[in-house]
Amino acid sequence: MDLLDLIDAAQSVADGLLFGSTYALLGIGFTLIFGVMHKINLSYAAASIGAAYGSLLLLSGFTAAPAVIVFMAAALCGGVIGALVYFIGFKFIPVANPLATLMSTVGLLLLIDEIIVHTTEGVPLAYPALYSDVVVRLGQFMLRGDLMFVFVLGCACMVLFLLLLYRTRLGIATRAVSQQPIASQLCGISILQVNVLTFVVTGMLGGIAGAMSGAAIGMLSPLLAQPLTVKGLIVTVIGGLGSIPGAIIAGLIVGALESLFQFLRGVTERDLYIMMLLFAFLVFRPGGIFAKAPGRD
Amino acid sequence: MLDVSELVTTYGKIEALKGVSLHVAGGKITCLLGPNGAGKTTLMMTIAGILRPRRGSIKLEGAELVGLSPAKIVSRGIALVPENRLVFPEMSVRENLLAGAYQRRDKSEIAADMERMYARFPQLKERREQLAGTLSGGEQQMLAVARALMSRPRVLLMDEPSLGLAPLIVAEIFDIVAALNRDGTTMLLVEQNAHMALKVAHQFFLMEQGRVTFQGTPGQLAEDEVIQRAYLGTRRAG
Repeated sequence: MDLLDLIDAAQSVADGLLFGSTYALLGIGFTLIFGVMHKINLSYAAASIGAAYGSLLLLSGFTAAPAVIVFMAAALCGGVIGALVYFIGFKFIPVANPLATLMSTVGLLLLIDEIIVHTTEGVPLAYPALYSDVVVRLGQFMLRGDLMFVFVLGCACMVLFLLLLYRTRLGIATRAVSQQPIASQLCGISILQVNVLTFVVTGMLGGIAGAMSGAAIGMLSPLLAQPLTVKGLIVTVIGGLGSIPGAIIAGLIVGALESLFQFLRGVTERDLYIMMLLFAFLVFRPGGIFAKAPGRD
Repeated sequence: MLDVSELVTTYGKIEALKGVSLHVAGGKITCLLGPNGAGKTTLMMTIAGILRPRRGSIKLEGAELVGLSPAKIVSRGIALVPENRLVFPEMSVRENLLAGAYQRRDKSEIAADMERMYARFPQLKERREQLAGTLSGGEQQMLAVARALMSRPRVLLMDEPSLGLAPLIVAEIFDIVAALNRDGTTMLLVEQNAHMALKVAHQFFLMEQGRVTFQGTPGQLAEDEVIQRAYLGTRRAG
């Protein structure tokens, strides 16, 4: 491998890191819902793509809506879909039955997928690729404007989200419910409120992540739902179920490695290596990147 | 102040409470004694609204609490320090106290109450930014009490605050209980440590197998031969 190959490899890692912010957002969503409810919401990534489609629908009257509006519309749709997913897939199912909600969210995943396919007849729709004409050159490297935009937006969302979780009253309530549900009720925190809020906030993050992947790829297709679901779950497991910093780091790692493997081995083999990464984590570090030391009760 | 009457709580078909009635007088410490499995914790969880009773009523100064959500019951003025403390392990001491004040909006008053808690529990002040899960058992118990007090309860329920703590720490916890009561807090205390309870409580109820089987003052309790044998161990059976 000569120098040029190395530069190309580094370039693909950089591209992957930038796109990895999408995976990080999805990972946060999966992991937060798991942290609060101790249940997996398999429909999450499909709902995120659904929200990106929703933003196209909302803005169908306008020819060229500014980027901010597109993403705000996607966040709005994501929040609404998140609340719907909670009320349809979780609210009326007994708390003690995680398998039932697993099945109900598989059902919702298929439902959202089908709705997308039937309303668009399965034809991919163009999604506004933002700042795709901007290219920043750093010596041998070039950073694509659309990917940088996606990355900066993803980081901004994560910062806002972390502030919400660690600096506000609602954040305290959310963490209280996830750590000790009975005691949180004794403090006067309503679990229903926290659950709905969790689904709305993660739905908004998901909507933005869906729009980000649409903007990075330049189009939306129902075929995006399945790989995003798988990648989101892999990121969640590698990050450590329930760990938010873990989800962020794992998202970036998976994004970077995916892009590197695609450069080295081609698009058909790429996901194989990501699966092997997951396998290695499950065997050698099943608690994820930030596996916790056991504490007192 | 707090009146429980004919309370029945079930787990499936098993009746854990078979018609419990008791009265907690305002400004006093009422103590609930009884062996494991008597239904003491079930009673506390039912009063706090975590468990729904089948029948019966719970009245705080005449207002019915049965059917209200746990959050509503907190806002009516009842706080429970649960068995095993149940602090939020991955939140700091300060955040645990803030969680206790969740229903309050008076920011400056919350801050003032927090300072009061730090004054009463100096160990918590030292560790205010430490994660609650890393505190010792005694410190966690104090945090659980302080967290409950942050909601400014009219009645404080405490479920076995001495559980699993060293004798010296237990004595400290009971000093705190007595001090809180002197400041006017009404308390319902579940305790297996009858010796310690005798020193602070004004009124006793004994629960066995889901029923109240004895009630009286500390004097009456100390004189009752059966209770002496079972809970105080001062006289040997046979």
